[in-house]
Amino acid sequence: MSDLVSDLRAVLGDRVRVDAAQRALLRRDASVFEGGSAGPVCLCDTTEEVQQVVRIAIAHGRAIVPRGAGTGLAGGAIPLADPVIVSLSRMNRVLEVDTDARIAWVQPGVVNLDLSKHLAPLGFHFAPDPSSQQVCTIGGNVANNSGGPHCLAYGVTNAHILAVEVVLPDGEIAVLGGLDAEPAGYDLRGVFVGGEGMLGIATRVAVRITPNPPAVRTLLLSFATTREAASTVSAVIAAGIVPAAMEVMDQRIVIAVENYVHAGYPTDAGAVLLAEVDGQSGGVDIDAERIANIGREQGATSVHLAEDDNQRALLWKGRKTAFGAVAQVTPNYYLHDTVVPRSQLADVLDQVYEIAERHDLLVMNVFHAGDGNLHPLLLFDAREPGVYDRVHAAGAEIVKASLAAGGVLSGEHGVGIEKQPYMSMLFSDDDLDHQERLRRAFDPACRANPGKVIPEGHSCADIQHLHAVPEGVWG
Amino acid sequence: MDLGINPDELVTCMQCGLCLTACPTYRITGDETYSPRGRIALMREVQDHGAPLTSEVLDAFDTCIQCRGCEPACPSGVPYGHLIEQTKASLTQQRHPALRSLLLRPLTMPRVLRVGSSALALAQRARLVPPPIARRLGLPARLPIRRPALRSTGNDVQLFTGCVMDAWQREVHLAAKAVLEAAGFGVRVTGDDAPCCGALHLHAGLRDESQRLTDRVTAALDPHVPVLVDSAGCGAHLKEHSGLSVFDIQEFLAQHVDRLPTVKPLDLKVAVQDPCHLRHVQRAHAATRTVLRPFVREIVELDDDGMCCGAGGAYSVLEPEMAGQVRDRKMSSIDRARPDVVASANPGCSMHLAAAGVSTVHPMELIAQALKG
Repeated sequence: MSDLVSDLRAVLGDRVRVDAAQRALLRRDASVFEGGSAGPVCLCDTTEEVQQVVRIAIAHGRAIVPRGAGTGLAGGAIPLADPVIVSLSRMNRVLEVDTDARIAWVQPGVVNLDLSKHLAPLGFHFAPDPSSQQVCTIGGNVANNSGGPHCLAYGVTNAHILAVEVVLPDGEIAVLGGLDAEPAGYDLRGVFVGGEGMLGIATRVAVRITPNPPAVRTLLLSFATTREAASTVSAVIAAGIVPAAMEVMDQRIVIAVENYVHAGYPTDAGAVLLAEVDGQSGGVDIDAERIANIGREQGATSVHLAEDDNQRALLWKGRKTAFGAVAQVTPNYYLHDTVVPRSQLADVLDQVYEIAERHDLLVMNVFHAGDGNLHPLLLFDAREPGVYDRVHAAGAEIVKASLAAGGVLSGEHGVGIEKQPYMSMLFSDDDLDHQERLRRAFDPACRANPGKVIPEGHSCADIQHLHAVPEGVWG
Repeated sequence: MDLGINPDELVTCMQCGLCLTACPTYRITGDETYSPRGRIALMREVQDHGAPLTSEVLDAFDTCIQCRGCEPACPSGVPYGHLIEQTKASLTQQRHPALRSLLLRPLTMPRVLRVGSSALALAQRARLVPPPIARRLGLPARLPIRRPALRSTGNDVQLFTGCVMDAWQREVHLAAKAVLEAAGFGVRVTGDDAPCCGALHLHAGLRDESQRLTDRVTAALDPHVPVLVDSAGCGAHLKEHSGLSVFDIQEFLAQHVDRLPTVKPLDLKVAVQDPCHLRHVQRAHAATRTVLRPFVREIVELDDDGMCCGAGGAYSVLEPEMAGQVRDRKMSSIDRARPDVVASANPGCSMHLAAAGVSTVHPMELIAQALKG
């Protein structure tokens, strides 16, 4: 390791971390997965530094794993077998904003919410708004093709990325995509977005910026049951309304959230639906009224319209910090991310509650209802012996139930380590082999974030290179 | 090494990372070592996994400003302030506790502090204090040689005068007293009965000594009369560690703003800089605006979401490099707001910002000036 470190230090000076405890910090992301093991941590400032670090790592036969804020929930940034960590959090500048063309060039370490705040005085924002937006980075959003509550109307990250400058796994620099409406050739940008760090490292990103809507209305509807809230969501879409966001939280999570934000969430309701419409003021009033009426028809016990921007912000803060707030209940959680057809939401939710109960686990449900994107949180205390077995078994059953209902593995968190074992449940061997061939086109030596996404048996040398996914990855 | 941290407190952090961007040292470095999540993980490495106390690990703990900006950002309610206080206390026991205690000794002896401070002021005038050293020590540009008398006028409220602030910034206490009197309150000045609250000692890891000082304050003051504090750091400390009825002075006056006379506002655009221990610990920063608004032409908000300025009690002296970088970030935010003056309700922040050329003032000074007409 010493030669590797001295080569890295020749490029980055004191921005290389090798202390064992410091490296240990990067063993994890925000998921439950343990067992990662980081090599030298490189805090890069420029594209050229990233390029040199990648080349040095390759020369020393080491893998590379990019890292932004480390808020991923599927283990995508967890380093396996001591790779060189390429930290991009210092590359946090907004390089250029063009409001006429509605484009901004940003570095990958720009924090999602910082970008929107930067754009606010110009009347724009970056539309994808993951719940972790106060910390997660644009580079991470690109890697995971992240979603967020407002992606219901505006589309997920992929719809907001025009071009990406990447350092490919062999150290070459390329720009994928372009600012033209229809760049020539294959849409390699589209391939790269959602690549989970296995196709290279984004070092500059051209994002689409979205004008702030002239008017916004935010409704908070209370229901006796989660089923009624879920049915309301289907009914709203069926009525031809496309709200900016529709989010459901069940009672348990509302209690935890309200205890933190004090936003006025009703803690006695069985479930709440947070619905937002935006556009021209006349239109939003009509849509808000229609959603309220549909809610009442489906059994809403109360309908509350956010009075001002402060209250709206507080309601959203509650929704977006929901995951962290569960630590008030138990110290650990396992957050799932599956998507089911909207019409199946209520039935799959019933199954989720049933599965958790059978495994003697507490479950809370908070989800992007408009997209049918479920986020069941299984709560547990890792100090309890054998609890991981139950959590893992319940998680697997939730995935199976979602797939059986015609759903998919992941809505927005990516596959990473977490969903890798389930890939074969959704994709045929042929599908997986083709995905692997696509990946090999970018990374023939399998050095970029190895051991993720593509399951063993379909993946190339990286599995042999790693020997095996380390003991204890699953807790 | 056993840091003496309660495992039930340590386990509350689930590593979601939502604290990262609320941390000034993470913002500057982009390095998780210098983030709350990273520091908590390091506490676990040291306490649970026997990681050695390397210089890197110690540096991570030493560079925490203890601004506690991570606490409001944390949905899990991790008691970060308590965790880092405990960590620093355990580490201090191994690293020259006697020296630290000696360095902070003057704070506990108000007369010595004032005489020493006047001597330093004279030395300053005689140009015997080289500017780089003055800056390193965080001294104000002109320390006062004499201090106007501060006398009690009643016993409706107790104005806590403290240690360094009374020696260096007594004019703030005078202004606070004038405003309280204008609102019709008789003021008991606590003076040398209750000098140092012990906040800086706790920051330095001297927990027992800190508690002794706090207990001395508690014993000297009337528990039934509101104790008003015009230094946010001291106020936060007394709220958490004394049994007194403590209010930040802005917080108290915000409840009685109707008792203040209506006067012509000062023709100033004022940026409010929220001291961390007012905003993140006391969470009473909204009061500053309520109280100040009638007395100035315009209040402008900084756009950095209450990020720390880098002062951190003695932090700016102990960790000047990081403190300077954190301040640079604050300075950019102040530049964007273009205020005539920056109002800060904490002496440490004021001095730290003033040292970089910012025109700073305590909110009470602005109100007192407006009341004078």
